Amino acid sequence: MATWAMVFDLRRCIGCNACTIACKQENNLPTGVFFTKTLTEEGGEYPDVKRVYVPTLCNHCESPPCEWVCPTGATYVRTDGIVMVDEDKCIGCGSCIVACPYDARTRVEREHIRAGLFMHGELTAFEQQGVSRFVPGTVAKCTFCHDRIDAGMQPACVVTCPTDARIFGDLDDSESGVRRLIRERGGRAPLAEKNTGPRVFYVD
Amino acid sequence: MLGHSSSIVGDEFRPGFRLQTHWGWSMAAAFFLGEVGAGLFLASLFLDFVDGMMLGIALTAVGKSGGHLLHLGQPLRAWRAIVKLDRSWVSRGLLAIVLFTGFGVLHVLDAAQLTAGLLPRALSPLVTGISAAAAVVVMLYQGFAMSHSSAIALWSSGLMPVISVTYASLGGLALATALGLETGSAERFAGSALIPTLELALIGYALVMNLSLLHAAYYGSRGGQKSVELLLKGDLSKWFLSLVFAIGLIFPAAMIAFGLQGPAAAIWSAAAILLGYFALRVLLFKAAVYDPMQSFIARTQRV
Repeated sequence: MATWAMVFDLRRCIGCNACTIACKQENNLPTGVFFTKTLTEEGGEYPDVKRVYVPTLCNHCESPPCEWVCPTGATYVRTDGIVMVDEDKCIGCGSCIVACPYDARTRVEREHIRAGLFMHGELTAFEQQGVSRFVPGTVAKCTFCHDRIDAGMQPACVVTCPTDARIFGDLDDSESGVRRLIRERGGRAPLAEKNTGPRVFYVD
Repeated sequence: MLGHSSSIVGDEFRPGFRLQTHWGWSMAAAFFLGEVGAGLFLASLFLDFVDGMMLGIALTAVGKSGGHLLHLGQPLRAWRAIVKLDRSWVSRGLLAIVLFTGFGVLHVLDAAQLTAGLLPRALSPLVTGISAAAAVVVMLYQGFAMSHSSAIALWSSGLMPVISVTYASLGGLALATALGLETGSAERFAGSALIPTLELALIGYALVMNLSLLHAAYYGSRGGQKSVELLLKGDLSKWFLSLVFAIGLIFPAAMIAFGLQGPAAAIWSAAAILLGYFALRVLLFKAAVYDPMQSFIARTQRV
C-alpha cells in the first residue's frame, strides 16, 4: 500500500491558481470554500524585492491533530495516509478546525450551499447536483482527490498545474518523484515544530 | 519593506497570522456557564446550600448544553460526541456532564429530602462523590480541550486546565456566597474569614496563572507573541486589562482586602468576578492566533 504525499516546487510555481480552480471544479466547492490556495508572499526592500508563491492544502499529517481531537471519529486516516472526514458522523463542533495548524478545514454552512457555485440566486441543476455531496454543518477538506487516486489517476490540482510545480507520489517508494525531490533538494515540511508529520513538502 | 507574513490576514491568499474565528460567543458562553455551574455546585456542596446546587446543575445542563447546541453544525447528532472517550476531551467532557447532571440531581433530591428514602443510606455518599468528581471534570476538561490544540500557542499550554479550574472554583464560590448570604442559606458563614480568605487566594492564583499563560504564549511561538500583543497592546487590550484584570480580579480583591462583607458586597464581588471571567473566556477565543506558514522568501531565488 502506498503512502501518498505531495511536493511543491516553489521555483516552478507561478501563482496562477489554476490548481485552486481545478480543485473547485473537481470537488464542486461552493463560493467561499477552498481545499487548496496559492498564497502570495512578498518580501525584501526596493530594488531587491522578492515574490514567492506558496501553495497550501491539507497536509495529510502522519499524526493529524484533527483526528485526535475529533469526538465522534468522523475524522479518520485511510491506510494510504489520506485524512478523511465522514460527513455522516461529523457533528460540526469545529474541534478539528481549531486544532489544524494549516487552515485546511472548512465547515460547510447552509449559506455556502445556498450561494452555490455561481452566486446567481436560485441554484441551477448543475449546482444542485454539485453541492449535493456536502452535508450542511459538517466539515470538509482536501482528500487528495481520493476518488481519482482510487481510479489510478492523480489529484486534479496536480494534473492541472501548467508548470509541474505540484508533484504527487508514493512516499514509501524510494524512486518516486516525491522522494527524489525531498532527498535531492531538501524538502521542508510546513510548521514542522508542531510535530504533526506533514506529508506535504516544499522544495526551493 | 513588502513583508506581509507578520500581519494578521483574513481570507485573502497571503501568508500571515490568522485569527481563530470558528469558536465564538456561543462556545464562550457554554464554557463559562459549564465551569461556573460546576464550580457553583461544588461550592454549594461545601456550604450545604441546596438551591445553589440546583442552580449549578441547571447552568451546566441547560446553559452549557444550549451554548454547545447553538454552535454545532449538526446539533441532532450531538450524542455522537461521546464515542471517542479514549482520545477526545470533548467526549470525556460530555460524559462528565451527563454524570454530573444525573448524579447531581439525585444528590439534590437526597439532600433536600424531597423524596424520602429515594437513596439507601449507604448509597448517598457514593452519589455525592460521583457528582462532585464529575463536577471537577466539567470544570477541568475545557482547559484540556483547548490545550490540545497545538495550532494555537495561546491555548497550547498545560496552564489552560489550571486556569479553568481556578476560575470555575472562584466564580462558583463567589456566586454561592452571594446567593447564600442573600437568601440566608449561608448565614453561618457570614463574618467568617474562611470564604474571603479562600476567594483572595483564588484571585491571587488566577492572577499568577493569567500572567504565566501570557508569558508562556509570548515565548512559545510567533503566533503566541501576536496573541499576547493583541491582549496587552492591541485592539483587545482595553477589554482585557479593564474587564479581566481590573474588574475581574483587582476590584474584588480590593473589596476583600478592605474588609467589605455582607450580602451587598458579596453580590458586587461575584458580579465583578463573573464579568471578568466571561471576558477572559471570550478574549481567549478572540485573541487566538495561528502561527503563519514559515517564510519561504529567505531561501527562494529572486524572481
